[in-house]
Amino acid sequence: MKKISLTLNGEKRELELEPWRSLLDALRNEAGLTGTKKGCDVGDCGACTVLVDGKPLNSCLMLGVEADGHEVVTIEGIEHPLQEQFIRLGGAQCGFCTPGMIVMAKALLDENPNPSEDEIRFGIAGNICRCTGYTKIVEAIQAAAEEMRK
Amino acid sequence: MSKLAVVGESQRRPDMPGKVSGRAQYAGDLSLPGMLHAKTKRSNVAHARIKRIDATRALAYDGVKAVLTHHDVPRVLHYGSPHPRSASVTRDQYILDSKVRYWGESVAVVAAVSEEIAEEALDLIEVEYEELPALLSVDQALSSSVKIHDLRNDNLVVDPVTVRRGDVEEGFGEADVILEGTYTMGRPTPAYMEPNVCVSQWSEERLTMWISTQTPFMVRGILAEVLGLPLTKVRVLVDHMGGGFGAKQDLFQSEFLCALLAKKTGRPVRMEFTRKETFLGGRSRHPGTVWLKQGFRSDGTITARQARITFNSGAYGSHAPGVTAVGTTALTSLYRCDNVLLEGSAVYTNTPIAGAYRGYGVVQTYYALDIQMDEAAEKLGMDPAELKLRNAVREGDLSPSGHPIVGHGLEDCIRRGILETDWKKRNRPHLASSEKPLRRGWGMGCEMHGSSAYPGIKEQGNATVRMNDDGTAQLFTGTTGLGTGAHTALAQVVAEELGLRFEDVSVVHGDTDVVPWDIGAFASHTTYMGGRAAQMAAAEVKKRMLAIAAEALEASAQDLEVRQGIVSVKGSDRRISVRDAVGPKLGLPTPQLIASATYKPTKSYSFAAHFVEVQVDTETGQIDVLQVIPVHEIGRVIHPVAAAGQIEGGIQQGIGHMLTEDYVIDPQTGRSLNAGFVDYKMPLSMDMPPIRTILLETAPDPGGPFGAKGVGEDPIIAIGPAIANAVYNAIGVRFRHYPITPEDVLNGLRQKEKH
Repeated sequence: MKKISLTLNGEKRELELEPWRSLLDALRNEAGLTGTKKGCDVGDCGACTVLVDGKPLNSCLMLGVEADGHEVVTIEGIEHPLQEQFIRLGGAQCGFCTPGMIVMAKALLDENPNPSEDEIRFGIAGNICRCTGYTKIVEAIQAAAEEMRK
Repeated sequence: MSKLAVVGESQRRPDMPGKVSGRAQYAGDLSLPGMLHAKTKRSNVAHARIKRIDATRALAYDGVKAVLTHHDVPRVLHYGSPHPRSASVTRDQYILDSKVRYWGESVAVVAAVSEEIAEEALDLIEVEYEELPALLSVDQALSSSVKIHDLRNDNLVVDPVTVRRGDVEEGFGEADVILEGTYTMGRPTPAYMEPNVCVSQWSEERLTMWISTQTPFMVRGILAEVLGLPLTKVRVLVDHMGGGFGAKQDLFQSEFLCALLAKKTGRPVRMEFTRKETFLGGRSRHPGTVWLKQGFRSDGTITARQARITFNSGAYGSHAPGVTAVGTTALTSLYRCDNVLLEGSAVYTNTPIAGAYRGYGVVQTYYALDIQMDEAAEKLGMDPAELKLRNAVREGDLSPSGHPIVGHGLEDCIRRGILETDWKKRNRPHLASSEKPLRRGWGMGCEMHGSSAYPGIKEQGNATVRMNDDGTAQLFTGTTGLGTGAHTALAQVVAEELGLRFEDVSVVHGDTDVVPWDIGAFASHTTYMGGRAAQMAAAEVKKRMLAIAAEALEASAQDLEVRQGIVSVKGSDRRISVRDAVGPKLGLPTPQLIASATYKPTKSYSFAAHFVEVQVDTETGQIDVLQVIPVHEIGRVIHPVAAAGQIEGGIQQGIGHMLTEDYVIDPQTGRSLNAGFVDYKMPLSMDMPPIRTILLETAPDPGGPFGAKGVGEDPIIAIGPAIANAVYNAIGVRFRHYPITPEDVLNGLRQKEKH
């Protein structure tokens, strides 16, 4: 077991992990944050997307111990206009890809507050949604971006 | 259609705040004290007897708490999908068997203190197989003397389905043009985002199961039956679930194994599939072939239709009987024809199991039908939309279920699509138009699909509605929330019926100990059937509430109306809030305002026509879908955003079926070749075209709540032939299979040049 300390959703946390434990499993099991989902565990689906030092990444592809000293934000730590637009415009259905999708969309808008539709589609290309056909997700991200620019 | 107060508006879905914040609880999010983790050992041969299986070393491994093989589990032959003894499903599975029927089948299961230890222990289980000839294709299975199951003396899942109307010989005799072709379908899988997962816990000889399933009452029933328990001893819980698309109607053996491991160890056990296992141990759509022959008069009238449909069921029957019956009888309809002869069959092979998947057999047969209509239009010198319009089923025609069709939904969809796309200009052959490498074309496809599984299953929707003493109401429903928004739709129906505001109605669901029995969320029937039952129960509560209000208002109940939670005497200013009417007063508690209703539906049909533009790169073979205009007639629309979301998502899966998705089984060994999201390619955000959804309410069904019909399955059906027809329109190469790959396009273009 290895002890790490990190900033998790704005709070200092200490976690004890096996050194081979993925960040995803560490978040879900050790930190009790189950909002981040495991859709494939091999970096293909994006359901486990979190922000590490503000950058989005698949938490299944990073070891938990690598987060030592870093700042991690999960869906539980996000309050953003995206969420209300996803609700209003139908950007979620089953909701399993939604946490990763919203984290990814937040990262996109943090970097580019006025993305084109193509830029949005490119930005979420690593996040698989099987329910929506992406139409309403793209609309929700556009609406949130617009709201934030007001 | 008359405007309603709550129904017809996209109300804020109560399931959404949890989903966008990470607070929504899925079965896999549960963690219980002392919980163990289970993993399955899967076979590495496609067909074999297990000569010897030895778990000694695995059991001795540090951290392992239990191992089960076929020696350790009850041997009970059971239904693969637990529909209530219907002819739609087969009874051909054991929890674990001494025989292996496909590559990847479970042979043993381990419970350990961690997933990793369970996984490592799997390698310590020794299995010796006596291999049997593996029948990996339908042709091999039909010609071999080797039997995959002992229940019949052939490799058919059930006796073939035959549907006969009129006289096809006579019909073909009257035809001016006859078309004939064989259409071949690949093996798409539902690929829901949440891998199958369940958690079992025993307490006082009573089993609690948290599970991602579309059919919690069926899971309860079959667990009780196989484990020999009364229904009072099994409780199934499902709150949020991460998609199912039909496939999560089955049991996946993991449920029994998880329950037995929990029993054996006396600890809670969690069992979650890896993504790979959702392919190996999951369910796909049925691959198959449709041989189709139709006769046409020169004016476009169809004189005869004959078809032979063969579905590959894989190693177990699952839904093959239902899929075969529904897919076969679907060919009696969509386009009118008096002379029909259809034969459908399903064949066991030593490949992964095909099961229920959105569109349930109809995706395959209407793919063949709608492409052949396009071929016929060309031969007859007609516009394909005109030909389809001429033959479209109409009010009073016999539907596949044997019920008369209500309204002119299909016609309305085609006409509206023609207008929206300026179709006459669009549908010109582009073949000779350009030597450019990028060619564009338009195509259209049609479909109809039933809400409810009648007559395969005589279903029943149940609901209980209770009004609280503050004038709010609660719906108790056994329907499951797959993510479609059905619970929101049901709450809208109840609020509308009771005259309450939407936010005054909540939905209680997800606990088989509490809510009324429900058959499960499938067959596009939740809003239609569960919604109608909810409406009926609400109507009864409203009647009782109005009787109380009538007393307070000193009026007759039939002179009252209720809107936005206010009861008023029609034509006067006398009014009382529902809250004041039913609330406790002068030491008297609120009267019990609770009612239940049961609704036994027959069937209604929804309709769609999809219009599609594609671009084909003749140098690379790449097909891009540029835009889709889906026109759907679904009766009363309850929640426009959720309904459109169903359609857009169905189109996404349909585009995948057509262009990239095919779960490939090695024809030599039966091994799965692409069990993962890198090699099983689904459309991503950049692959999806703009979709301009049009909802029509022109043929409401009196059997649904406020005239509503189903929508879940429809969108995945029409998109397929629309794409294939558009590809033909673009490059003049006719494809009669899916998926249509770049390689197919290049080969097709090469063949065409030779001719």
